[in-house]
Amino acid sequence: MKHDEQNLLEEKLGGVSRRDFIKFCSAVAAAMGLPLGMGEKIAEAVTSPKRPPVLWLSAQECTGCTESLLRATHPTLEKLILELISLDYHETLNAGAGHQAEEARITSMKENKGKYILVVDGSIPVKDGGIYCKIAGKTALSLLEEMGSQAAAVIAIGSCASWGGIPSADPNPTGATPAHVVLKNKGITTPVVNIPGCPPNPYNFLSTVLYFLTFKKLPELDDQARPKFAYGRIIHENCERRPHFDAGRFAVQFGDEGHRKGYCLYKLGCKGPETFNNCSIQLFGDVGSASWPVGTGHPCFGCSEKGVGFTLALHSPARPKYITPPSLFTEVYPGKGGVPSGAKALAAGVAGVAIGAAGAAMMTGLGKKDEDTKDKEE
Amino acid sequence: MNQKDIKVITPFSMVLIGIMAAGAAVALYRLLFGLGASTNLNDAWPWGLWIAFDVVGGVALAAGGFIIAGAVYILNWKKYKPIVRAAIMNTFLGYLMAATSITLDIGHPFRIWHPLVMWQVNSIMFIVAIHVVLYTSTLATESSPMFFEKLNMPRALKFVNKIMVGVVLFGVLLSCLHQSSLGALFLIAPSKLSALWSGSLLPYMFLVSAVLLGLNMVSFETILTGRVFKHKLPMDILSGLAKGSLIVAVFYFVMKIWQLAKGPGIGAAFDGSTAGNMYLVEMLVGVILPMILLSMKDMRSRVSSIFTINLLVITGIVLNRFNVATFGLAEYAGQSGMDYFPSVMEFILTLAMVSFAIFAFKLSVKYLNVFPEGQH
Amino acid sequence: MAMNRRDFLKVAAGSGLLLASDIPAQATMPEKLPPQAVGILYDATLCIGCKSCMVNCKIYNSVPGGALYLKGRDIPYEANNYEKGIWDAPVDLSSRTVNIIKVNTSGTAVNKDSAENGYSFVKQHCMHCISPACVSVCPVGALRKDPVNGVVYYVENRCIGCRYCMIACPFKIPRYEFEYALPQVRKCQLCHHRYEEGKYSACCEFCPTGASIFGKVVDLKKEAEKRLSLKTGQEYDFPVQTVDSKFTMRRQVSKYINHVYGQTEAGGTQYLMLAGVPFDWIGFNKSIDKTFLPELTWAYISKIPAVAALVIGAGTLTWAITSRKNKDKGES
Repeated sequence: MKHDEQNLLEEKLGGVSRRDFIKFCSAVAAAMGLPLGMGEKIAEAVTSPKRPPVLWLSAQECTGCTESLLRATHPTLEKLILELISLDYHETLNAGAGHQAEEARITSMKENKGKYILVVDGSIPVKDGGIYCKIAGKTALSLLEEMGSQAAAVIAIGSCASWGGIPSADPNPTGATPAHVVLKNKGITTPVVNIPGCPPNPYNFLSTVLYFLTFKKLPELDDQARPKFAYGRIIHENCERRPHFDAGRFAVQFGDEGHRKGYCLYKLGCKGPETFNNCSIQLFGDVGSASWPVGTGHPCFGCSEKGVGFTLALHSPARPKYITPPSLFTEVYPGKGGVPSGAKALAAGVAGVAIGAAGAAMMTGLGKKDEDTKDKEE
Repeated sequence: MNQKDIKVITPFSMVLIGIMAAGAAVALYRLLFGLGASTNLNDAWPWGLWIAFDVVGGVALAAGGFIIAGAVYILNWKKYKPIVRAAIMNTFLGYLMAATSITLDIGHPFRIWHPLVMWQVNSIMFIVAIHVVLYTSTLATESSPMFFEKLNMPRALKFVNKIMVGVVLFGVLLSCLHQSSLGALFLIAPSKLSALWSGSLLPYMFLVSAVLLGLNMVSFETILTGRVFKHKLPMDILSGLAKGSLIVAVFYFVMKIWQLAKGPGIGAAFDGSTAGNMYLVEMLVGVILPMILLSMKDMRSRVSSIFTINLLVITGIVLNRFNVATFGLAEYAGQSGMDYFPSVMEFILTLAMVSFAIFAFKLSVKYLNVFPEGQH
Repeated sequence: MAMNRRDFLKVAAGSGLLLASDIPAQATMPEKLPPQAVGILYDATLCIGCKSCMVNCKIYNSVPGGALYLKGRDIPYEANNYEKGIWDAPVDLSSRTVNIIKVNTSGTAVNKDSAENGYSFVKQHCMHCISPACVSVCPVGALRKDPVNGVVYYVENRCIGCRYCMIACPFKIPRYEFEYALPQVRKCQLCHHRYEEGKYSACCEFCPTGASIFGKVVDLKKEAEKRLSLKTGQEYDFPVQTVDSKFTMRRQVSKYINHVYGQTEAGGTQYLMLAGVPFDWIGFNKSIDKTFLPELTWAYISKIPAVAALVIGAGTLTWAITSRKNKDKGES
């Protein structure tokens, strides 16, 4: 392309070369399991002059999800919010505060009605009218209902927003409820994506957002509205300690020989076999291998899985969700019924000989007149 | 023809010798490299061609000896005396064939003597082993007159002839027991063997079918040797054997129908499964057709039709042995996903065994007095 | 006219058939649980398919006295020859695998221990029957049942390799070393070679969930019945490794099929099973009933002395009559 155009584009992209930008988009595409050609499409989508608006509603959260996003490097959070999207409202990242921030929210909602993405983190308390979380005098409950009804899509980031998370643990005094339940109860039909995790891997969120921006629809979701590219398999399937599980090598106590050797943590209560997530593949923080709980020697406790995280005892044994490859199991009945072909062939052969011999004998022997009773003298 | 006119080396015997040599090579290979290298046996099919045909089939094919010997020496039916030596010799060779095959089939051929000193009286295999050893010795004794005559040992000959009745009676007992024992082998696996054959009557059906097969084998051998060595064919013997076959065939047929009706029901044979079809073939070829033909007097009086009937019974009853030892277990074995078809080496050894029986019989006709009265 | 084994032996001895000095201790086939019978209780609902039992079975049976020992070979676990090592991903029990975890699935296979769109594991190895068919059919007594603890074990130097035990076993357990010129039968022997050291079956020692537990059969039966009486979803402290272990794993009770497999099947076994799916779905032949299999053969064998007497007697009589008739007729 011509030199001036090149400069213009680079300016737009804040000094990043086109090649690097395409590379980044291709990396995003690859992380989502999309064909490499999609990288270009993503690039086009995110460099359109009007950055898509995003509003971020924080309810009963610990800000861990935002902190997780801060650790992303491809794209970095600043790239995301300064160049790729228009983050019009976020409690932690707002430039302004107080009434100024609320005004920005209201303005954006008016201008982008039906077009903005609503990100929710933290669970929504519903007990006692939802008074246990209020922002600018309004309950989180009413805010979600209002904001959710006018959004193009809702992304619930973190376990709290996806299924209740830690605030919903027994006895759940505030009535902590996930975002999608709140919306459903109000009859609001805005599509919801759940990105559970405590916190989730930031790239699960980022990839989903970029996918939506590119294709104007949400990626393939499972029955709990989680994107399949990240939550389609249990951690156990791709765990780096899986060979130890398959070979029956377990750590029994923290610090014992098995633990030091990096053996499987199943006996310490690892919930990998019943937790859907991609921690074992993506890891955390882009700092190399073993940068995830199991890798550091602590069993997974199923932070992203409803019914597991903050529900089951930390060191109780997990119940695998399904038989997981790559482990090979023989079927109980490998033969598919009936007599196998070799034996059948042998049977057919023997029967054939019997019938053939019988037939031949009968054809030649029965009708013949007896000539052999005569003596055959030498 | 006279003994001196029998040519040992003919094109046919060259073929037999060739097969036997190949069989010897296979036996050596099997001894050196094991069963996995020489057969297609596997964990789901531990018993294959060698057990089904050579051992179980072979013993059934060799049932003629005790019947004719018993008829001649116990029942004193002297009419059958002309064929008694040939029948005994054929049976003896048949048992040698079965004994050699079982020795090669077991995992440790050189431990074949173990059952003689390590007893386990609950085991049918043990019973069979003891019987086979005793019966082969009995057959050797029954055949010894032919050898003593040849070797010119009159005192030994006299002694053997004196005890012959007792030896034959012992042989009859042993044969009844182990022909039925081979069927009893499969009593232990009712959940595996197809209901078409399994049931507590199995040993007795093996015995009766062995008698039927024995009568027809003797007739078959008599006709064959008559043709080959150009003897006059003893029509009275052949008709007598045919009549005996008719009686036994009817009895066997009734047993089979009774067992089928009491067990899975008559319809089970017609369900189109492999087992059902094999049962039908076995019944048709080995029992029903022969029964129908034997019931016609003129079929019983002509050599060619007798020969045909013999062939039908032989193939049919051997098929029955295959069915019990292999095909009746096939559906169950197939569940494991494993398959079986005998290897080339298995076929070679089996053929070699049969060749040995044929060739050895020819040699015995040439060098021993197998037909003291029948040679013209 | 069937007779019991003692009389049979007396007759056999009397008729001079008793040539040998070596009658095995098992002249009578047992039909009752031995006094100190030990066994394993396998709970398929606790099994997670980790195969720790398979791996450790191979390790601890590859030592002298073990079920997989072969003189002069490396322990398979450390063997450089990986064809024969642990990672041959066994497709079935074989000459080198005496314990295997298998699975059956239906539909989408997402529900554990359910036959509908579900799956269940099963641990297949010797059932150590109370009246073992394999022991009764071995012609040389190479397979024997310990009269005290009931373990069915193998005495290699007696075996002739007839493979009758493979035909007889209703659970298709014994496997053969077809690949060797000097082959052995291979099957689980409940790690009886470890009892002296105070140890027990390796599969139970290393099972992480308590799916396989070792103990006296009477205690295992009590534990199995107890589990069947618990409510589904109730929390229970499942013992791990042995039935009387202090180490337990607390988890919720699954829905069981209301039957302990091995109480009566084949006359009763010392390896008991609980599962959440029907037992024929995980590989057990439906036609195995409570018949003691050796009795089927004994029904025939016990008649042998009577048959012998009959044939000898009738034969002698016939000969006497027909000879006299012939003599009268003037024939010799």
